[in-house]
Amino acid sequence: MLGSFFNIDGGYLEGLCRGFKCGILKQADYLNLVQCETLEDLKLHLQGTDYGNFLANEPSPLAVSVIDDKLREKLVIEFQHMRNHAVEPLSTFLDFITYSYMIDNIILLITGTLHQRPISELIPKCHPLGSFEQMEAIHVAATPAELYNAVLVDTPLAPFFVDCISEQDLDEMNIEIIRNTLYKAYLEAFFAFCKDLGGTTAESMCEILAFEADRRAIIITINSFGTELTKDDRVKLYPKVGKLYPDGLAALARADDYEQVKAVAEYYAEYRALFEGAGNNPGEKTLEDKFFEHEVRLNVNAFLQQFHFGVFYSYLKLKEQECRNVVWIAECVAQKHRTKIDNYIPIF
Amino acid sequence: MSLFRSEDMALCQLFLQSEAAYSCVSELGELGLLQFRDLNPDVNAFQRKFVNEVRRCDEMERKLRYLEKEIRKDGIPMLDTGENPEAPQPREMIDLEATFEKLENELREVNQNAEALKRNYLELTELKHILRKTQVFFDEQEGGSSATESMTRALIPDDSIARQAAGPVQLGFVAGVILRERIPPFERMLWRACRGNVFLRQAEIETPLEDPATSDQVHKSVFIIFFQGDQLKSRVKKICEGFRATLYPCPEAPSDRREMAMGVMTRIEDLNTVLNQTQDHRHRVLAAAAKNITNWFIKVRKIKAIYHTLNLFNLDVTQKCLIAECWVPTEDLEQIQLALRRGTERSGSSVPPILNRMDTLENPPTYNKTNKFTSGFQHLVDAYGVASYREANPAPYTIITFPFLFAVMFGDLGHGILMASFAAYLVIKERTLGAKKIQSDVWNIFFGGRYIILLMGLFSMYTGMMYNDVFSKSLNIFGSNWRNNYDESTLMNSKALQLDPNSTAYFKYPYPFGLDPIWQVAENKIIFLNSYKMKISIIFGVFHMLFGVLLSLWNHVYFRDRLAIMCEFIPQIIFMCFLFLYMVLLMFIKWVNYSADTIDVKAGPYCAPSILITFINMVLFKSSKNPDVCDDWMYAGQGFLQKLLVVIALLCVPVMLLAKPIMIMRARKQHQPLMNAGHTNNAAENGDAGYQLDDSMQQVQPVPAHHDEEEDITEIFIHQGIHTIEYVLGSVSHTASYLRLWALSLAHARKSP
Repeated sequence: MLGSFFNIDGGYLEGLCRGFKCGILKQADYLNLVQCETLEDLKLHLQGTDYGNFLANEPSPLAVSVIDDKLREKLVIEFQHMRNHAVEPLSTFLDFITYSYMIDNIILLITGTLHQRPISELIPKCHPLGSFEQMEAIHVAATPAELYNAVLVDTPLAPFFVDCISEQDLDEMNIEIIRNTLYKAYLEAFFAFCKDLGGTTAESMCEILAFEADRRAIIITINSFGTELTKDDRVKLYPKVGKLYPDGLAALARADDYEQVKAVAEYYAEYRALFEGAGNNPGEKTLEDKFFEHEVRLNVNAFLQQFHFGVFYSYLKLKEQECRNVVWIAECVAQKHRTKIDNYIPIF
Repeated sequence: MSLFRSEDMALCQLFLQSEAAYSCVSELGELGLLQFRDLNPDVNAFQRKFVNEVRRCDEMERKLRYLEKEIRKDGIPMLDTGENPEAPQPREMIDLEATFEKLENELREVNQNAEALKRNYLELTELKHILRKTQVFFDEQEGGSSATESMTRALIPDDSIARQAAGPVQLGFVAGVILRERIPPFERMLWRACRGNVFLRQAEIETPLEDPATSDQVHKSVFIIFFQGDQLKSRVKKICEGFRATLYPCPEAPSDRREMAMGVMTRIEDLNTVLNQTQDHRHRVLAAAAKNITNWFIKVRKIKAIYHTLNLFNLDVTQKCLIAECWVPTEDLEQIQLALRRGTERSGSSVPPILNRMDTLENPPTYNKTNKFTSGFQHLVDAYGVASYREANPAPYTIITFPFLFAVMFGDLGHGILMASFAAYLVIKERTLGAKKIQSDVWNIFFGGRYIILLMGLFSMYTGMMYNDVFSKSLNIFGSNWRNNYDESTLMNSKALQLDPNSTAYFKYPYPFGLDPIWQVAENKIIFLNSYKMKISIIFGVFHMLFGVLLSLWNHVYFRDRLAIMCEFIPQIIFMCFLFLYMVLLMFIKWVNYSADTIDVKAGPYCAPSILITFINMVLFKSSKNPDVCDDWMYAGQGFLQKLLVVIALLCVPVMLLAKPIMIMRARKQHQPLMNAGHTNNAAENGDAGYQLDDSMQQVQPVPAHHDEEEDITEIFIHQGIHTIEYVLGSVSHTASYLRLWALSLAHARKSP
């Protein structure tokens, strides 16, 4: 029943999004891209795809950073076009997607100011999807409380930040904790929002967000080994929406090394598969890449169903993965370091 | 002949000396008669031979686009003489590149200077505004408190702060300029971050300022912030930086401010002159470029197109010559040879290029020669489907049928004149309008179809006269052939009166041309016209469809396809004639045999049968139930004849469906054993030279993919099935669809008054 009313508000944008999705590079394109000798070749090939003339007005010689910027710019334009045409509840949904970029931007800026970098140098590095008005004045704040009171209280992130105010001052450790607490709150809120929306959106998005939450929990655990983060603090950072919640998270909280994390993952079929092939030796894929691959798979699956908002999220994530792939290949081409050029993550 | 069929094509192989290839392709490109085939489809775009040249062209295009953008920004008109320069020689490419490079660098430099100057100018203007506006703030305070009290103290309404500091405090302030839309968050942020301990005043700058980076007009506001203490100062400054506000020094003493304002004014004036000079220089550079830019664009694009084409070619082993394969209309082979010779001469090469005809089993592409009149119609036809190679081209007939069928629907003399005169304007002005290169889609549809619209307009004028409609009014040219035979009192007393055609009201002969104008005032005009236009529509439709089927006969004859004539065309035409042409015939019988001015009831309006009902009954094998006074049939033997016609027409359907595939199947079965026998014979005797030659020829010839000799028999059945269903259902539904001629005509007639 939800589906029959979906097209009234979301039909155009869903169609548009699916159209955009068809422009995502295929395996055949990647095979051609990895054969490129120079960045000019890369540009020439990308001209034959949906990217069209996006690099046509860039003077030679090309730099990887320019390609990166232009790829991102194109994605941002597409996303913002969709956001501008969206109505409730899709607009809130799309806003939710941008919050994660806001979190990243805030953390980037705070870390930057902590290292005495001028703010004007940091701003261009921020993701344009996560920019907000007060962003550039972030370096006024010296403590989390100030950060909240002066800067974030007006932004949509305010409710997520409430848990962080208690932190004493902004040092590297605390920033990392703030980031993860924010992200935890954000994921839980987004998850709840999608659940409320119900229908196919809930089905597809909860699956993806649950994986995102579990990935964060696992990575936080692995990264915490050998740092001063206590186990109690670590538990507070786990987003409680994934499949690992509650038993898996409890087990993770007790883990002391990588093997124990792996043992926890053994209980979950899909995560076991990810841990099995992962490793840091040559010829093996890193756990991170394995996670990315799984994420791509989930996002591709979102397109199998119709009449839901998951496609917008998935499109953005897939496109981001594609940007990472193209930049990786471009980087390999530019540095003449071809042995690892095949380490991109194919999407279709 | 080429009007009715697509051109005769030949696959040619072209050997070009590598030094002459460029100019030859350039000449061929000007001719536009060849279709080159890609000989290296497996090679990536960036691995082809001339990719570097293509890339250089891309770079040149980029520079030209940059130039164009700058020219547009300054609003300098670009000269377009409409001339078509030839593609420059490859060696000239370097000159072009150098020119563009120089222009681009010069322009970038000028722009950089201009930007720096503009930034300077912006800063000075902002400073000017600050000095002016802050003056107001300061004046207000001094005017408000005429006492000698410190003006800064009066600014703070909250006395507690002053008291806390014990005595008059020195308040610091910063002044600056900020984008107007950022004021509200800026103010909020100041309040929050400084806990309300700062005081902000702001005033809008009325005139928009130019942003030097993007040269957009932006609105800004002047603000001044008062605060106390160094800590607050650094914080305020940080916030200002965060909101991209520009801060300016502003002296405290009024006299210093006045002095500074004077200095700023003179510097602005100086800067203005410099800025004007820079602008002039920029304008000169751009104006020079604007004269040539269209020409340059064409040249660069031509070079790029030539290298793209060269990328389709094969290199031979010795690297001395390029091999191309192309489709050529056989009629134009001479012209192509000439162009090739010209190209060779231009390049100064001694070895002439070789153009070889190749034998091929592939289906050649369809190429219809058009001129400016037929091209619109050809596009119209191609939009529905392109005919196969050498099939009859429907476009020439469309020139008449399309505008005519349109006119049947549109028929109105007045509207037709408007339409025709609009199209005539486009046609007469086509040279100047075409040169304008208007990009709008809607305009291009109209302009591309100007001849179609013209003909539609002219035909509409004709049908408008037939319908006797001019802006939905009638013309009474010859005088109506009906007259009023009622006396005055009857006329006055009744609302509607009938004129009986069987009385003196009708002159017994029809209006000389088209519809009698009397119908315009008749109550039953629409009812009368409906039956008339419906019949006309069906008649046109059936003849139109019959004509289409006859065209297919012409195709079968041309391709000597006897099987198709026997098993497709004949059943098709029988089906069409026996059902639909017969219905048309019935209409004519009704028109001839039944009339209002007769005393015989059986031939009068009361007994006139409905053609539609008659036709439906005919297909359903029902006999019509007429009132007793009338005849059951329109003519003797009608019942039997109709049954016969329907049975035969229906029998044609299985013939259409099955005959051709079965014949093909039988032919193949007979053919195959024969072939096999021939082979064994050949192997045994080993002496039949002719056969062997044939055999070896076949081996040499590569078997192309499109060859349909081995097409699967089930495939043929399916195709024939689709074709039959399409034809049978099509002829029924099309007949009904032609009623749309009437429906739209009715709609037009009803809507326009």
